Amino acid sequence: MAVPAEVLIAEQAQPIHQEPTSFWRKYVFSIDHKMIAKQFLWSGCIFLLLGGVLAMMIRWQWAFPYRKIPLVGELLLPRSGGIIGPADYQQVFTTHGLIMIFFAVTPVLIGAFGNFLIPLQIGARDMAFPKLNMYSYWSFFLSQLLVLASFFASLGSGGAGWTTYPPLSTNVGTPGAGQSLLVLAIFVTGVSSTMGAINYVTTVIRLRAPGMTYRRLPLTMWGLWLTAILNALFVPVLGAAGLLLLFDRQFGTQFFVAGASAVRGGGDPILFQHLFWIFGHPEVYIMILPAWGIVGDVVSFFARKPHHWYKGSAGAMIAVTVLSAMVYGHHMYVTGMSPLLGQGFMVFTLAISLPSMIIVLNWLWTIWKGSIRLELPMLFALATMILFGIGGLTGLFLGDISMDLYLHDTMFVVGHFHFTMAAGSIVGAMTGIYFWFPKMFGKKLDTRLGQIHFWFTFLGLLAVFLGQLATGYAGQQRRLFDPYQYTFIQGLHGLNLATSIAAFILFLGQLAFVVNFFKTIFSKEKDREQNPWQVGTLEWTACSSPPAYHNFDHIPQVLRGPHELSDPEVMKVLDRDWVGQAEPLPQGTAGARA
Amino acid sequence: MAAAVSASGFGEETPPGIVRRLADRRRRDEATATIGMVVFLASWAMLFASLFFSYGLLRARTPVWPPLDQPPIPVLLPAVNTAVAALGSGAVILALRFLRLGRLRRGSWALAASAGLGTVFLALQVVVWVGLYRAGLVPSGGPYASVFYALTCVHALHVLVGIAALAWLAARGFVGSVTAHRHLAVRLWGMYWHFVGLVWLVLFATVYVI
Repeated sequence: MAVPAEVLIAEQAQPIHQEPTSFWRKYVFSIDHKMIAKQFLWSGCIFLLLGGVLAMMIRWQWAFPYRKIPLVGELLLPRSGGIIGPADYQQVFTTHGLIMIFFAVTPVLIGAFGNFLIPLQIGARDMAFPKLNMYSYWSFFLSQLLVLASFFASLGSGGAGWTTYPPLSTNVGTPGAGQSLLVLAIFVTGVSSTMGAINYVTTVIRLRAPGMTYRRLPLTMWGLWLTAILNALFVPVLGAAGLLLLFDRQFGTQFFVAGASAVRGGGDPILFQHLFWIFGHPEVYIMILPAWGIVGDVVSFFARKPHHWYKGSAGAMIAVTVLSAMVYGHHMYVTGMSPLLGQGFMVFTLAISLPSMIIVLNWLWTIWKGSIRLELPMLFALATMILFGIGGLTGLFLGDISMDLYLHDTMFVVGHFHFTMAAGSIVGAMTGIYFWFPKMFGKKLDTRLGQIHFWFTFLGLLAVFLGQLATGYAGQQRRLFDPYQYTFIQGLHGLNLATSIAAFILFLGQLAFVVNFFKTIFSKEKDREQNPWQVGTLEWTACSSPPAYHNFDHIPQVLRGPHELSDPEVMKVLDRDWVGQAEPLPQGTAGARA
Repeated sequence: MAAAVSASGFGEETPPGIVRRLADRRRRDEATATIGMVVFLASWAMLFASLFFSYGLLRARTPVWPPLDQPPIPVLLPAVNTAVAALGSGAVILALRFLRLGRLRRGSWALAASAGLGTVFLALQVVVWVGLYRAGLVPSGGPYASVFYALTCVHALHVLVGIAALAWLAARGFVGSVTAHRHLAVRLWGMYWHFVGLVWLVLFATVYVI
């Protein structure tokens, strides 16, 4: 059979390179996208654990204020003997948010899945710029070290909240090197994200295998690609905000300093909020778009049906990407913004729910009357739909100005963004981990342990974040060191205590995942199924598990879309309900030309 | 399938016209790198756009700008600098033209000239800074000084990176590692250099002139 010209051209453009043999080149300073993905995965998971410990400390404080943390208290807070003081508490909730968003979810969802999946799913032998990819990881690693270093600064780590709003985050509010190190860490991780984004955007544009048109991309690719575009355009805005904040802190400039401590009128703290949210709102979608993509693919694969209205879902993702850049003002309704401007932001904010609904309804229609296989990835995908759904619906309350005036800065906001960014993104990432684990490590994760992990995670997250929504609706402000100093919150102690206990159970439930992860990686069992989920995308059908260094011996010629499941013609010819994206049907059958 | 890919890279069954397209590999690689550079510059343009946005917002909420008690910012030297930046960009264009024609030595000299012009630019900028600092405009002197020093310093850092890159390319040109067919790096750094020049133009117009 003749090799198609496009394939020859693609293969010549991406020659097979020799796999490096030295330890450093292979495992540490690797330019292989699969190894870099694993590095991001490890870094992200370790910080996920760290962020989780910090979350438990917050919950402890709200359940048992001024009491010593049992077992690990002295270890975590040696100076106070395990009791969380007000200053410690500031640092705990600040670093919890920052670590979870920038140093845990982002590396896992974008760093690990982006790197691992983009070349494999589009049929490329590596990223467009492999070395840039390596720099991206190592600058990310540096930013993680900066975060860790901030804990050892003389006044402790930063304490101005994850949003680092001035004037609290200036030298006036939070003196000491800790806050500066955190801001620097945000800047460095921003540089890393930008490098990654340049790579992802270019790779998807240039290195798609012949026949892999945009309409044949798996939805995961759409999610990651749009995320990369948002990253490339909006992370530098955060970079600028961080840079100016650093100038203010280190060189005495006055961008954000105002009031009594300012010279000649000073700057404007609200300016920082503008910059932060111009970045911050797209960031919300940066963190959810990959999860949407993953869920879209997984529901199709495990309902054994093509994704319902694929073009609609891809188009809706594009619409969300564009709209996400136009709504940032809804974080600032209470800053005294012009009501007219506020209304504009409100309209755009509520308009985002339309494309979001297209995506969610398409998931439901995909599942509708499907032959559902309730395997682990599907369980997590369904959980993502429910948890993200609650997050999205509570977002409507906050997007509405009159409602937001009441709910602003309450635990309701905390519950809302935990449902979207923590539950939606992290459970979405878990979907991906359970689904692609066999591709990364060649072995499937244990089902029993996975189910235990699933129920602890799903019910745990639901309980904890519903508790947050309820306390917030009852009026509890967020970020309070001791909420019960306020008489009207004292009645909420029981609810907070129950929520905290749910959180501790949720945290312990993650042990099932850790055990499962290591048990599977180190198991001797050679259960290398090439395509355990029986799906057609390139990473499962055109290369081995785990993939060779160069991914594809021959660059595949893609013939069809990613969700060609239960096609009657294919079932007749091949006697199975799936067909590879690049798998030619036998000559003479109707689908052979496909 | 393996037989089709012979030692020469393409087999007997190769369709007509493909020889030419295979030979275009370098052009494809260059297109990929160019797209990467465009994404990078778009990204970095957002960084500078944010800085200018900050400037605009601070200025909009200040009743008197520039403040009456601050030393006036000079316009003449920065205007000269604008011309220097334009010449620097021109030198890179010239260098590329020479390289395409195969006149490698001239190309390298043009690159060196561009790096030199960049250095002149920085030197003049230092003169402006020192003069203003001595006249009493210090970074901690309120939002006006903040904007001036932050924007010019961030821009100057980018100029510094550009100078280093162009000098390195010029050095590579003199030892012969840049040829008529291998000068992608010059083109990409040229794009960067034009970008830095463009930012300067906006900076000059908004910070110095109006």
